[in-house]
Amino acid sequence: MSTRDWSLFLLPVAAIAVPAHAIDYLTVAQAQTLLVPGAKSFVEQPLKLNDEQRERIKAASGVRQRWDEQKVWRAERDGALQAWFIIDEVIGKHEFITYAAAISPDGHVLGVEIMSYRETHGGQIREAEWRKKLVGKTLADPFKLDEDVPNISGATLSCRNVLDGVKRLLVVHKLFLARA
Amino acid sequence: MTQLRRMRPMLGTFVEVGACGPAAADAIEAAFASLEGAQAWWSFHAPESELSRLNLAAGARVRLRPQTLRLLRLAVAVMRRSESAFDCTVGGLLVRQGVLPDHGGLVPLPRGRVDDIEIGAGWARLRRPVRLTLDGIAKGYAVDRAIAALRRAGATAGSINAGGDLRVFGELSLPVQRRELDGRFTSLGALRDAAVASSRVAAPGATRDPSFPAQLVAPIGQHAQPGVWTVLARSAWRADALTKVAANTPAPHRDALVRSLGGCLLATPPLELAA
Repeated sequence: MSTRDWSLFLLPVAAIAVPAHAIDYLTVAQAQTLLVPGAKSFVEQPLKLNDEQRERIKAASGVRQRWDEQKVWRAERDGALQAWFIIDEVIGKHEFITYAAAISPDGHVLGVEIMSYRETHGGQIREAEWRKKLVGKTLADPFKLDEDVPNISGATLSCRNVLDGVKRLLVVHKLFLARA
Repeated sequence: MTQLRRMRPMLGTFVEVGACGPAAADAIEAAFASLEGAQAWWSFHAPESELSRLNLAAGARVRLRPQTLRLLRLAVAVMRRSESAFDCTVGGLLVRQGVLPDHGGLVPLPRGRVDDIEIGAGWARLRRPVRLTLDGIAKGYAVDRAIAALRRAGATAGSINAGGDLRVFGELSLPVQRRELDGRFTSLGALRDAAVASSRVAAPGATRDPSFPAQLVAPIGQHAQPGVWTVLARSAWRADALTKVAANTPAPHRDALVRSLGGCLLATPPLELAA
C-alpha cells in the first residue's frame, strides 16, 4: 500500500483565482418543487415586519430578524394550504448563504435546501461588501452549472447560523403564519 | 462532464452532493437519505443516537447495527495502529471542556485506551466509563456510504463534500482548494476517484473561531502541530481519520506513518503543484 502512486488521484491543475467561493444551486422555482413537491401553486405573500414585530421575533427565537420583509409563499394544492415556503439569508463571518425552508401548516420543518452558498476569501467581510458583490444577482438568476467552481477542503465550517435561521423562521411561522 | 449539485445543512456543516447521468436527481436524494442515517446514528450530540446509547450504557452490551459496528472496528483499528495518535476515546475530555454536550450520569473519564472498547457479534460495550466520539472518522465514513448510495441509485459519476471531507468517483476531476489557517485558498489539484480530508489545528494562543468548532485532542503530554493537515486516500473515512494521525505525529515519522496506514499527506504548500 505504501508504494501506491498517489499522483494518479490528484492531478496538477492551474490554480483558479476566485475572489470568493460562490455557487448557485437552485432557483426559487426549483427549490419550491423540491421542498413541496405536492403543491400545484405557490402564491407569493411577503411578510412585512415593523420594529416591534422584529423585536418579538428576536425575543422568542434568540436570533436577530435583520430585515423588515421576509419572502414567503403559500404552497397550495387545489386551494388547500400544503406548506409555507420561505426564503431566508444568513450572513456569517465567513459565509453568505441564501436558503429555502418549507414549514408545514402545523409548524414542522419539511425541508431545508441551500439555494446559493458564498464563502469569503478570508477575514471578516462587512454586510455592505457582501451586498455589493451580489449586485445584479437576484434570486431569480438561472441555475448555473460551473465545473470550474473548486471544492474546498479545510476546517469544517459550522452550519450553526443556518440552523439558527431555521429556528427563527419557526418563530416567524408561529407568530405570523400559523393563523393566517 | 456537468454535475447536478445540491447542498443541505447536515452533520453540523454544509454537505454538497453532486451526481452525473440521467438518474442524477434521484441519486442525490438517495445520498442525502444515507447521510440522514449517519447523522441519526453517530452523533455525539443526539442523546438517542446509537453512539450515545453505547456511551450511556454503563458498561452493558449494546446491540448496534452492522454499519455502526463496522465504523467502530475501523476506529479501533486506526487507533491501535497509530498508537492513539487517532483517539476516539476523548469524548469525556471534550465534555469536561464544554466542547461536547453532557448527557448526564457519572462524569466520564477524560480519555481511555483502545482496549476499553469491546466489540462482539452484533454488539459492543465500553469496559470503563469512557465516552467515544466518532467525530474524527464518522463524517468521512458517512461520505463513503453516501457515495455508495449514489452509485446504487445509478449515478454515472459524482462527488460529496461534507465540510471538507470530500470524495469523488467516476469520470470526474474535481478541482480542490484548501482553506489555510489565515483564510486564504490554495489549489491542491484535481481529485479523481479518491478522497481528501483536512483538519485544522490553530496556532497556540489563537482565539477560537466558533465558525470552525472542531477541536483536535493531542496525545497526553503532546501538542497537535499547528497547520491545516490534508490527507489523500481512496476512501473518505481513511482520509478523515489520518488527518488526526498527521496532526498528532512528530515530523520525523509523520509521512511514513500516514503512508503505512493507506494515505498520502499533502504538504503545505502542496508539493509539485504549480501555483
